[in-house]
Amino acid sequence: MSTSTSLNTEFVKGLWKENPVLASLLGLCPTLAVTNAAMNGLAMGLATTFVLLMSSMMISALRNFIPHQVRIAGYIVIIATFVTVADRFLAAFLPEISATLGPYIPLIVVNCLILGRQEAFSSRNGIGRSLIDSLGMGLGFIFVLVVLGIIREILGSGSIFGFAVMGDWFTPWMVMILPPGAFLTLGLLIALANWYNDPSSLSEIRIKQ
Amino acid sequence: MSYFLLFFSAAIVNNFVLSYFLGICPFVGVSKKVSSAVSMGLAVTFVMLITAVVTWLIYHLLLVPFELEILEYVSFILVIASLVQLVEMFIRKVSKPLYDTLGIFLPLITTNCAILGLALFSVLRDYSFGESVVFGLGAGAGFTLALVIMAGIREELELAPIPKYFQGAAITMIVAGGLALAFMGFAGMI
Amino acid sequence: MSKLSLPARMILVLTLITVMSGGILAGWDIYTKPKVAYHREQALKKAIGEVLPAHDSYEVRETDAGTLYIGKRDSIEQPIGIAFMAIGSGFQGQLRIMVGLNPDLTQLTGIKVLEQIETPGLGTKIVIDPSNKENVYWFPDQFKGIQTSPEIVVVKNAKPSTNYEVQGITGATISSIAVANILNAQIATVQSILETSQKVEG
Repeated sequence: MSTSTSLNTEFVKGLWKENPVLASLLGLCPTLAVTNAAMNGLAMGLATTFVLLMSSMMISALRNFIPHQVRIAGYIVIIATFVTVADRFLAAFLPEISATLGPYIPLIVVNCLILGRQEAFSSRNGIGRSLIDSLGMGLGFIFVLVVLGIIREILGSGSIFGFAVMGDWFTPWMVMILPPGAFLTLGLLIALANWYNDPSSLSEIRIKQ
Repeated sequence: MSYFLLFFSAAIVNNFVLSYFLGICPFVGVSKKVSSAVSMGLAVTFVMLITAVVTWLIYHLLLVPFELEILEYVSFILVIASLVQLVEMFIRKVSKPLYDTLGIFLPLITTNCAILGLALFSVLRDYSFGESVVFGLGAGAGFTLALVIMAGIREELELAPIPKYFQGAAITMIVAGGLALAFMGFAGMI
Repeated sequence: MSKLSLPARMILVLTLITVMSGGILAGWDIYTKPKVAYHREQALKKAIGEVLPAHDSYEVRETDAGTLYIGKRDSIEQPIGIAFMAIGSGFQGQLRIMVGLNPDLTQLTGIKVLEQIETPGLGTKIVIDPSNKENVYWFPDQFKGIQTSPEIVVVKNAKPSTNYEVQGITGATISSIAVANILNAQIATVQSILETSQKVEG
């Protein structure tokens, strides 16, 4: 990892090029499970980002102290601690969201995204850079969750964030809020991202950086 | 709920992969060969079984009596990580070819949502020891089933002309959507 | 630090991390536990409030048939109703229903489905039915005043003709019947427990 990579690059890469879900296929479990409504996707994204930021901070700070052989065990304890904090926070202050997201919040512990970032980045970089990297990844994750959530909510319930946007003429596509809809939408989204990233498609229209 | 119904529910009606979205990572990344899928499924089921037992004991004999429920996630994941490590060493000793086949996916079982999910659900639904074990077996069976079916389909897809941008993860997700739809037909059977 | 042997370092670091984790969680636990308990209490109160007739307080009684919530009004010695949870299998998953009955358990005063994962738009009508313009809560509301004997029965395609029949939801027969079955089972259990331990005292 070149030390001359600008902070901006570290931040931006998580948003699209190395988007945790679309590019690396990490964190699929929560992505599919809680995106039946935009609000749920947003809440899950925020909770995951919180855990990512806090654990990155701590692991980066401790990176020179943790022996290589026990690093995974150490990371796991730290991650699980912050997930517990987030889960309890929701149960104590936002009980409705806690009830809706249910067991998927504790499953943040095994979200490959977090462990992946610690292993690949936070354990080798300073606190500042690690936070920036985590922030980028976290936002990229939130982005996908919210987009997926909006699509499924519009087609499946006729609303966005709880506000009805489709009129009475629209019969909701029930399948969108159910598991098959989740898989289908994500599959199409990934295909769309593949198309967008392919330099040979519509290269005249796309602005080169 | 009777043990049979519990098993059937966990394996088919409320399949861990297709209804609860647990265990998707290996589901997508699984080798396109049915034989590897079976090995993976069995390894996961084995870990699930032991996890169900150990986490139940820890939760009900240690955490609850001492009011330490807040340590649930930390203790569970540590148990799972250790178990996977042990299973890895065990498989390596017992069957080197199997160890080589599973490769990187073996340690990745630790981050398999299905295992932690199993332990969490068991606590959430307040299952007895026996129910936990049966639930674990059912979950493992369901996971294996979904994995094997997916591997079988992907073997066939190798020969199909898939549009460029759909190749890889995208088509896998769409196929999974079809599978999930099919499995929805089992609802209401129990 | 580098002077210590590797095993010693591993143990030391892991111990430190777990102690830190324990400390953070212990503190957080102490801070959040009362709040979580408060929310749970509030949710329970709300559910009981919706299934029992107006009351000022409720007594919590543990029995072999589960927890009973006996509603009381300050001015009256006799209880005004009994509520309890009825749990069982629905179409897709578990149903958790709070049910309220009159003191001698012959008549329902209300039900509230607290947890369900039924088919959205169909089975979920057991909770609320947005498609019914007159009363979105028509399904649970019809349980008020229903007699418990011989047992609650769901009727399809016809209007209920007796006071122990309720109308099923079109397209969600199994969910509707599941509700009745779960209620019947738990009511019977509670009835037998209370029979053996005499009538509920005020």
